[in-house]
Amino acid sequence: MALSAQDKILYVANKLGLSTLGQMQGSTGAVYDVDTDLSGQIFSSASRHQNPSVTNITENQFEVNEALLVENISFYVKNAAGNVNNFQKVYGSDAVIVFDLVIGNKRVMKDTPVFAAGSPFTFANVGNQVSASGEDVISIYCPRHQVFMEGAGILIPPQVQWYVDYRIFNVITGATIAATDDTAIGCYLFGTRVLLNFNTTI
Amino acid sequence: MSQVGKLGYVDSKLGAPTSGQQTTRILFNTIEAPGVTSSLSFFKNFQGLTNGQTNLTQNKLDSMESMVIKTIWLAQLASTGAVNGFGGFAQQTLSIIVGNQTVVKNLPIQFNQGQVGQAFDRLHENAGVISDEVIGATDLLQTQQPCEIRLLTDIVIPPQVAFEVRIESNGVNYGTGAVVCALSGYGKIFSAGSSF
Repeated sequence: MALSAQDKILYVANKLGLSTLGQMQGSTGAVYDVDTDLSGQIFSSASRHQNPSVTNITENQFEVNEALLVENISFYVKNAAGNVNNFQKVYGSDAVIVFDLVIGNKRVMKDTPVFAAGSPFTFANVGNQVSASGEDVISIYCPRHQVFMEGAGILIPPQVQWYVDYRIFNVITGATIAATDDTAIGCYLFGTRVLLNFNTTI
Repeated sequence: MSQVGKLGYVDSKLGAPTSGQQTTRILFNTIEAPGVTSSLSFFKNFQGLTNGQTNLTQNKLDSMESMVIKTIWLAQLASTGAVNGFGGFAQQTLSIIVGNQTVVKNLPIQFNQGQVGQAFDRLHENAGVISDEVIGATDLLQTQQPCEIRLLTDIVIPPQVAFEVRIESNGVNYGTGAVVCALSGYGKIFSAGSSF
């Protein structure tokens, strides 16, 4: 029988000596941030970002007895006006993001591609189809740019910093593509969340 | 047996290290300007490719790394950046060779893309919805999805064993842009742990 999300959280917590994590509130959650500095790193500058227009965290680590089991990593584009856009619609189908997920001093996702044309794992849904304006009806895709974790996901434990390192390339020529203020890359991590629960202590 | 269990089983049979960071792994490789050909070999040539075209430097995983292939992903991109049907809509077959063993043999790929609309699995909507297209696809107007096949069995790529993905046809035009193959699934990457 496959390991459940809750089992994985408790297994890692036990390995790390987090004996009370199992008593906390289980939930579903997501954290997001945008690389507004165009530094190639997401989440590491979250403390300087506006909440919630750019990020929903105040620092890139969880507080005591909070955690996130990452089960889905997704990328998007945020423009200068603050609007969230589809990566393919801004960079074109031939772009690819190659990213690492680093937790503490450990790289847990390595050189992982997210293709603008629509990544592996996202086939089960055709994505959003819209009509191109100014033309007769034409169905076009808004492909999905996600990595659904195989197995039970990867746990970000309490009080450990994490960030995403990424670069953008043209997959045809191999050339790097620079983001701009109007095409800043954002990322969210979604999964099973552990929230601090004081029980009867307070 | 789960994919996690399968990878551990195969690694232990081969005497490969079973420790390491468990993760989701996606390997990919690009062939530039393939043109008309009856055979494509992915993960064979890495010369001149940047990190945006492949995330390997050789056709094998590192000594402490292994993975289970769960999904095969194929895309054909025109030089304009538009996504085209992989090999047009001609019938092609795919084989995966690990070491000297063929582990996926002559698997047809056209059913999971294009105008066929009869994918192997029930969840998969046909990747190429035929639209009332009045203008051609561009890099920003994508009219079809890449081809993707989810495998029913867990195919293991052990550490330090050469592998290759081969596409065969009766002569198909893959264009002057690029074709990309990605293999995704569960894997282990080297982790020093407490050793350093």
